[in-house]
Amino acid sequence: MLKALKKHRYPYLFISPYILLFLFFQLIPVIWTVQISFNEWDGLRTMKPAGLDNYGLMLQDYMFLDAIRNTLYYWVLSAAGVLLLAIAIASFLNSDNLRAKTFFRTTTFLPYVCASVAMGLIFSMLFEENSGLINEIIVKAGGNRVPWLTSSSTARIPVVILHVWRLTPWYTMIVLSGLLNIPEEYYEAAHIDGASGAQQFSNITLPLLGNILFFCFVTITVDSWKLFNESYVLSGPGSSNTSLFQLMYQTGFTTFKLGYASAIGVVLILILLSISIVQFAIRRRQGEL
Amino acid sequence: MRAKNIAWKAFIHLFMLIIVAFCLFPVIWMMIISFKTVGESISGFSALTVQQPTWANYERLVELIPLWQNLYNSLFTTIIGTITTLFFCALAGFAFAKYKFPGRTALFYFVIGTMMISTEIGAIPLFIIMRKINLINSLWSLILPRIATAVGIFYMRQYILGVPDEIIEAARIDGCKDFGIFTRIILPIIKPALASWASLTIIARWNDFFWPLLFLRKTSKYTLMVSVSMLPVSDGLSTPWQVVLAGTTLVVVPSILIYLALQTLQKSGIMAGAVKG
Repeated sequence: MLKALKKHRYPYLFISPYILLFLFFQLIPVIWTVQISFNEWDGLRTMKPAGLDNYGLMLQDYMFLDAIRNTLYYWVLSAAGVLLLAIAIASFLNSDNLRAKTFFRTTTFLPYVCASVAMGLIFSMLFEENSGLINEIIVKAGGNRVPWLTSSSTARIPVVILHVWRLTPWYTMIVLSGLLNIPEEYYEAAHIDGASGAQQFSNITLPLLGNILFFCFVTITVDSWKLFNESYVLSGPGSSNTSLFQLMYQTGFTTFKLGYASAIGVVLILILLSISIVQFAIRRRQGEL
Repeated sequence: MRAKNIAWKAFIHLFMLIIVAFCLFPVIWMMIISFKTVGESISGFSALTVQQPTWANYERLVELIPLWQNLYNSLFTTIIGTITTLFFCALAGFAFAKYKFPGRTALFYFVIGTMMISTEIGAIPLFIIMRKINLINSLWSLILPRIATAVGIFYMRQYILGVPDEIIEAARIDGCKDFGIFTRIILPIIKPALASWASLTIIARWNDFFWPLLFLRKTSKYTLMVSVSMLPVSDGLSTPWQVVLAGTTLVVVPSILIYLALQTLQKSGIMAGAVKG
């Protein structure tokens, strides 16, 4: 054992920084979160064992239930919005019919490099009830002003729009790289057989993109459950658009209920873990691992 | 058939132009407003014209927040963070790609597996840990945990796999030691990979918000992103929008410029290289 370690000391040495950092800053915190979640703690005094109290509290806490509902809403709508837009934009970027491809590729990627916090501030102004541009357009078109961020029923909409706005470019690029890998011959053969553009898209493009789209879906899912910046900056009344992760932050660092915040953390861990397990199982069935 | 084709082409271009408009509009709109005087109207469509362009909002920014100090903090974490992460990810990637050692496959799957655990989930204990090691209010709290990342290692390994073994063997025969091979042979060869990874890391670190918000608890220690996020309430709860948007312009424009510069530098498209394989 020691001999092997000495003989192969260089590769182990090269990998060790990552392993150490992982243990110290990822694994230990996650395990510790689980432990804290069974206690009552303000971070300063000693912990008081609380059993399952924190978990029991969740089911009666309307803020927690709101956060779960909001995050589900963010997840479903961003996944649908981002994937549909990414497929459409990537297909057009890849189309022989499009001129000035470099221009389109460069400009459609720009939202991804813009900081979500800064864009959140801008969106909060665009969606402002009385002077915002969005309402101005709605009024010009004959509609009524929408109280976007001041009403609990609409406060989630700007958050989803911002999230989709920022994430679509990244996924467009991933889908595009998938499209570029589909051999041109498939389309030529289909063309000879008389398949229309729409048929080619649904019978060649979509099935061959399957794996990539699945990968995108999984990462968007993770991104959505970790959503923080957008709803933090675009905060609506009360907990009307608070995300689950944001609720964990607020419970932990503004009200200092670390035990309860950790319990929320454990729920997040379980959700993200089950996503990984489902992903792993599906990949395995497809014979990729 | 021909007419149909032309209509289709027109549709594609129209659709893409609308998308481009949606992508660019908020950014352009922000920049226009940041040059308007505080007295000028910014509601609705009147926001789009500037009567008297002014730098006053940017000057006001310097009075409201420790702008230069915050800018330095952002630059420090971005630059040091990117350099360290490139180095250590490439180092581990090199070990996985070019060495045979017991447990290599298992360790590699372990690294891939760790991608599933997001660091954010452990934020509460992580804050306690940072407090114990005295890194709260230190810029190193943002750099240290991400000195090597699983995704970075995976990406570097894929790229280094393509470096021919003969080059490494030849260097070894010439008396080059393991670490020397890494710094003198591997690093120069994988420059394109380093450049793509660097651009993604620079933008991610510059835009980073959650971690600085959590670990930095003094105005003088804030990164620019945290200061800007607090602008709406920093001038007695009613900072003029012109000033807020001057702040957001200061954080958004640099990342756009970096992206455009790197994009022209590498014709092949940096971002496309980063996801391939």
